[in-house]
Amino acid sequence: MRRVLIIARHEYLVNVRRVGFIVMTALVPLLGAAGLLIAAFFGGQAAAFFASTFVPETREIGMVDRLGAFTPILPEYQDTVQLFADEEAARAALQADEIASLLVIPEDYIETGRVIMTSKGGGFSTAMLEEADTMKTFFVDHLLGEEVDAALRERVADPIDPVLVSLEEEGEPEGGPLSIILNLIVPYFLGILLVMTIFVSSGYLLQSVANEKTSRVMEIILSSVTARELLAGKVLGLGALGLTQVVIWLLSSVALSGGAVGLLGVALPLLVRPQVLILGVVYYALGFLVYAVLMGAVGALGTTQQESQQLAGIFSIMAAIPLMLGGFMFSNPNMTFVRILSWFPLTAPTMMLLRLPMTEVPLVDIVGSIVLLIITIPVILWAGSKVFRMGLLMYGKRPGLRQVLRALRQA
Amino acid sequence: MPRTMLETRNLVKRYNGFTAVDDLSFEVYDGDIFGLLGPNGAGKTTAIRTIMDIFKPDEGTIRVLGEPPGVVRRRIGYLPEERGLYRDLKVLDVLVYLAELKGRPRSVAREQALAWLERVELSDWARRKVRDLSRGMQQKLQFVASVVHDPQLLILDEPFQGLDPINVDLLKGLIRELHRDGKTVMLSAHQMNLVEALCDRILLIDDGKAVLYGSLDEIKRRHSPGTVRLRTSAALEPLPGVARVEQRDDIYTLTLEGISPQDLLTTLVEKKIPVDVFEVATAPLEDIFITVVKERDNA
Repeated sequence: MRRVLIIARHEYLVNVRRVGFIVMTALVPLLGAAGLLIAAFFGGQAAAFFASTFVPETREIGMVDRLGAFTPILPEYQDTVQLFADEEAARAALQADEIASLLVIPEDYIETGRVIMTSKGGGFSTAMLEEADTMKTFFVDHLLGEEVDAALRERVADPIDPVLVSLEEEGEPEGGPLSIILNLIVPYFLGILLVMTIFVSSGYLLQSVANEKTSRVMEIILSSVTARELLAGKVLGLGALGLTQVVIWLLSSVALSGGAVGLLGVALPLLVRPQVLILGVVYYALGFLVYAVLMGAVGALGTTQQESQQLAGIFSIMAAIPLMLGGFMFSNPNMTFVRILSWFPLTAPTMMLLRLPMTEVPLVDIVGSIVLLIITIPVILWAGSKVFRMGLLMYGKRPGLRQVLRALRQA
Repeated sequence: MPRTMLETRNLVKRYNGFTAVDDLSFEVYDGDIFGLLGPNGAGKTTAIRTIMDIFKPDEGTIRVLGEPPGVVRRRIGYLPEERGLYRDLKVLDVLVYLAELKGRPRSVAREQALAWLERVELSDWARRKVRDLSRGMQQKLQFVASVVHDPQLLILDEPFQGLDPINVDLLKGLIRELHRDGKTVMLSAHQMNLVEALCDRILLIDDGKAVLYGSLDEIKRRHSPGTVRLRTSAALEPLPGVARVEQRDDIYTLTLEGISPQDLLTTLVEKKIPVDVFEVATAPLEDIFITVVKERDNA
C-alpha cells in the first residue's frame, strides 16, 4: 500500500505542476470570467435596449378612461399611470416618448374585457403589458375598489401559489418543489460529474501511461512494483488530479455565479432525500474506480496516445449511454431495459444516479448493482493489471484480442 | 560453497508457440560477476524479465535471494534493455522517486541519490531536467537509477549497449567497484571482450538453451585443450606429438596431437630446451562462442 501511495503522490505532484494542467484548469474559470465581463459590458447595453424596446416602464403608462371606472387613479398607482383626458393628447405624449405605452379603456370594457394598447415598439411590448402583474392588480384594485377587502383583492389578482407535495411509501409528505427539483437535478449533476471526471482523469491516465511507455521508463518501474500497484497508484493519483480540476471548475462557477451554486450545495443535504444523496455518492465512487482502472489498462494497450484515446473512447461512451437515454427513463424509470443497464457494471453508476431520484428503485436493483460493482472492481483491477503489464512492454505493436485473452489466462 | 543468490531450474518461457527460453538451469553465487551471453534473440532478455517477475515462466522454478521472483524487488537493482527515464523531471527527483519505490525513506533516498550523482560527476545537474543531459550523462544516470537504493544483487541487461568507449570504461569501473563492495552482479551482453574482462562465471545461451556454463577460465581451458604457447631463445626442432608450429619472434604457438601440455613440458625438459614462458593457450571467448554455436547449428 505504501508503494501505491508513493506512486499516487508522484503522479499527482508531477502532473499538477504541468503547464498543460494549469492552463486547462485555469481556462474554464477564465472563460467564465471573460463571459461574465462580456455579458456585463454588452449585456448592460443590450438589456437597456430590450427594456426600452419591449418592457414598458410602468410609471410611463398613459391611460384614456372612456369607461370612467378607473378615474381617479388610486394614489398607489399615480406614479406609474398617467391619465389623459383624450386619446389625441395621449398619442402625442407617446410620440414624444413621454410615455412608454398607451392604454385606452373603451365604454364596453365591462362586457367585453377588451382594452386597446398602443406602443411605439410594436405588438410585443403591448403583449408584455397585458401580462404585467402590476397592470393586473391595477385593474383589480380599481374595479373592486373599497367594496372588497385588500387581502381578497390581492388574492383575486394572484389566485394560486401551488405547493407540490410528493408522498413517500410511508405516506409522509416530504419537502416542497425545490426538494423535488433537487432530487432530480443532484443525481443528474452527479452523473454528469462522474462522466466529466472519467473523461478528465482518463485523459491524464492515458497520457501518463503513454509517456512511460514511450520514454521506456516502464520496465524500471515494473522491477520495483507490481503492475497492480502501479495501476492502483496511477488511478488514485490521477483520479485525485481529475477531481481537483473538476472541483476547481465547480468552485469557480460558484464564485462566478455569485454563490448561487454554493447555496445550492449547502441546501442539498437538507432538501434532497438523504438515501438518494448517499447512494449517489456510493455509485459515484464505485463508478469512478471501475472506469479509472479500466482506462489505465486500456491506455497501456495503445502504441500511441492517440490510439489509446480511441480505445478509451469506447468505454467513455458506455459511461455516457444512460445520459443519452434520459428520455426512456423519464417515461418509465423501471422498464426492463433500464433495469438491465442498472445492473451492468459499466452503465450501472450513471444509470442508477439518474434513476434513483425518479422512482422508488427496487431494493434488489440497488443491492444487486452495488454488489456487482464491488465484485467488479477487484476483478477489473486483476484483469486490468494483466493487460496493463502485457501492453506496457509491447512497443510498436498493439496486442491482439488473442494476446489479451492469453494474458488474462496466465496466473 | 558460496551462497546462491539466484537460481533457475528448468526454466521455460514460450510466446505464441515459440520457445524463447528452453529448460534453462543455472546459479549465480554471492560475489559473482556472472555473464549471460548469447547472440541477439537468444533469449537473454526474456530470461532476465522472467527472473525480474515481469514475465511469468511457463515451466520451471526461480529463486532470487532465496525467494520466489517478485518478493525481494527492493534488494535487486535492475537495468533493463529497454531503458529510459522521465525526461521532463529533474534528475534528483527521478532518482529519489525510484529509490522510494525500492523502499528507501525519502530522506535516505535523497542522500543516496546525491552521493551517487557526486560519484558519477553529475552533481551540478541534480536540479536540471533529464532532457537537458547529454546522451552520455543520461546513460550514467540510467545506471545510477538501478543502483541508487544500494541493492544486494544487480541485474544488468546489455549494460554496454550504445555506450561510447569512454562510458564503457566508466561503467566497467563502476561494476568493479560495486563488486568490490560485495555486490553480486549478473549482466547480459553480446560483446565477448567485455564479458571476458569482467566476469568470473558465464552462461552462454543460444535459441533459449544453455550451451556453455561454468567458470570462465575452465570453459576457456576446456575449449582450447591442444594449444600451448612458449617463449624460448632456442630454435625448436620437430617434437613428438606436435602437429603444427607457428613462430612470431621468440614466441611459439604449438598445436598438440595425442599428447597433453604436461607431456610436452616433460619433453622440453628432457631435451634441455630453455623455456622462459610456458602457458596453456586459451582461445578468445568470441572464438569459443562462434565454434560452439556453429557446432550446434550443424548438429
